[in-house]
Amino acid sequence: MNALSTLSEIHYREIHQFFHRRHLLDGLSLSLEGGHATLLSGENGSGKTTLLRILSGLTAPARCLVDFGAGKIPWGKCRRKLQREVMYLHQQPYMFDGNVVRNLALALPRTMPKLQRRKKIRQALEWAQLDGFAGECAKTLSGGEKQRVSLARAWLRQSKFLLLDEPIANMDRESQTRTVALLKRLKNARAALMISSHNHEIFHELIDHRLTLDRGKLLPTQSAPLPANVTQLIARNRPGGTSTGNAAR
Amino acid sequence: MQSLGDATWQALLLLLRGDGELWEIIGISFRVSVSAIAIAIPPALLTAFLLAHLAFPGRRLLISLFNTLLSLPAVVVGLTVYLLLSRQGPLGEWRLLFTQSAMVLAQIILSFPILVSMSHAAFQAADQRAWETARTLGISPLRAFFMVVGEVRFGLLAAILAGFGRIIAEVGASMMVGGNILHHTRNIPTAIALETSRGNFSQGIALGIVLLLLAFLLNMSLQYFQGRGKLAA
Repeated sequence: MNALSTLSEIHYREIHQFFHRRHLLDGLSLSLEGGHATLLSGENGSGKTTLLRILSGLTAPARCLVDFGAGKIPWGKCRRKLQREVMYLHQQPYMFDGNVVRNLALALPRTMPKLQRRKKIRQALEWAQLDGFAGECAKTLSGGEKQRVSLARAWLRQSKFLLLDEPIANMDRESQTRTVALLKRLKNARAALMISSHNHEIFHELIDHRLTLDRGKLLPTQSAPLPANVTQLIARNRPGGTSTGNAAR
Repeated sequence: MQSLGDATWQALLLLLRGDGELWEIIGISFRVSVSAIAIAIPPALLTAFLLAHLAFPGRRLLISLFNTLLSLPAVVVGLTVYLLLSRQGPLGEWRLLFTQSAMVLAQIILSFPILVSMSHAAFQAADQRAWETARTLGISPLRAFFMVVGEVRFGLLAAILAGFGRIIAEVGASMMVGGNILHHTRNIPTAIALETSRGNFSQGIALGIVLLLLAFLLNMSLQYFQGRGKLAA
C-alpha cells in the first residue's frame, strides 16, 4: 500500500467533460481543503457523480488541470496520485467477500505488524459503532452499516480528501444521523469533505460551502432558511440551547 | 468381439490390479494437461481482465477473435504446432516434436481461447466498484487485480475447468505432435484411440472410465469451492 502524503489542499482547474456531445462540465474550478466540508447539489443527471469521479482519479475528463501545490499538471499525469490521495465513497459502498474485519484490514498497510493491525481494527469498529459486527459477512450488512464500514476504512486509511456520493441515500433517520456524526469526526480530524446530496438539512451543521452544479457550471448556493421545526431541533440539541436560526456558514 | 459388459468388467479389473502401463498413461495425461493449464492460466486471466477493463481500438475485434477460436479444431492446432516444430519449421531447432513439451505447447494453444473467453465474461460481470474501491484504498494495481479475481472466483474456476476439460480429452493435437509413443507421449485419449483401433476394448473402456472419474472429481472440487452452489446472500 502506498503511504499517504501530507497534502492539505488540491486545486482543480478547467474541468471539462462531455456526455453524448453534451457539455456536462464546462470549465469548472474548485479546491479541496483540509478541514472544510462542501455540499454539492444539483438535479439528477447534472454531473455530480461524474465530477466526483474525475476529482478522485476514477473517470478521465476531457480536460482538467490539477495543482497539488507545485504547479498545474494535466489530470492524466497525476491520475494514480489522485486515486491514492482522494478517496471516493460510492453511493452504495462495495464490500469485499469476507467479514467486516477483513474489509477493514484492506485499508491498512500489509506491512503493519499483526498486533498493531488488530488494535487498529478494534479502534475502527469502536469509532464507527460497529462493535458487534466484526465477524459479520460484510456483504449482508444494511446500507447504513456498509456506509459506516466504508467510513471506518477511510478513517483507518487516514484519507485527507473524501468525496461522498449521496452517502445517506435510502437510509433511515437513525443511520443518517450516525453517518453525519462520523463525517463530523472526520472533518474535525482535518479531512476535506465533498458531499453530493439532495438532503441539505441533515448536513446543515457540517457544511462550510454549498455548491450547485447547473448546466455544466458550478454556482455558490445560498443556504435556504431552515423550516422552523428544524431550527428548533438544532437549538434543542446544542449545548446552551438557544436558537440562532440558520446555522450555515 | 467383446460385449460392452465384458469390456467394462475387464476394464475395472485392469484398474484395480494397478496395471503399470495403464497408470503410466494416466500419469502422462495428467502431467501434460496440468502443466499446460497452469502455464496458460496467468496470461489468459490477465488478457481477459485487460479486455474487460481497458478501452482500446480493436478490443471488440479481439474479443470476437477469442470467441471464434473456441471452435478451433484440435487437429488444426496439432498441424500448426507440428509445422512449427518440424525439422524444417521455424522452431525446428528446439527439437521438441514428439515430446511431452510439444503436447504441452499444443494444449496451451487449445485452452487459451476458452480461458480468455470465459474469464472475460466473468470479469465483465464483476462489479466495477470492486476495482475502484481497491484502488481508492491505496491498494496496488496488481493486488487489486487479485482482489477482483477473488471476487469472481466461481466464474474463473468454471473457465479453468472448461479449459482443462477441453485439453484432457483431446486426441488430434496430442496424436500429431506427441506421436503416441508408449512410455513417452501416450496419454489417455491417444491410448483410447489406439486400443480401439486394435480391438482391445477393455483397455479403451478402462481409460474412458478414468477420464470420467477425473471429470467427476473436478466437478466435485468445483462444487466444494462454490459452497453449496446456491445464489449468494
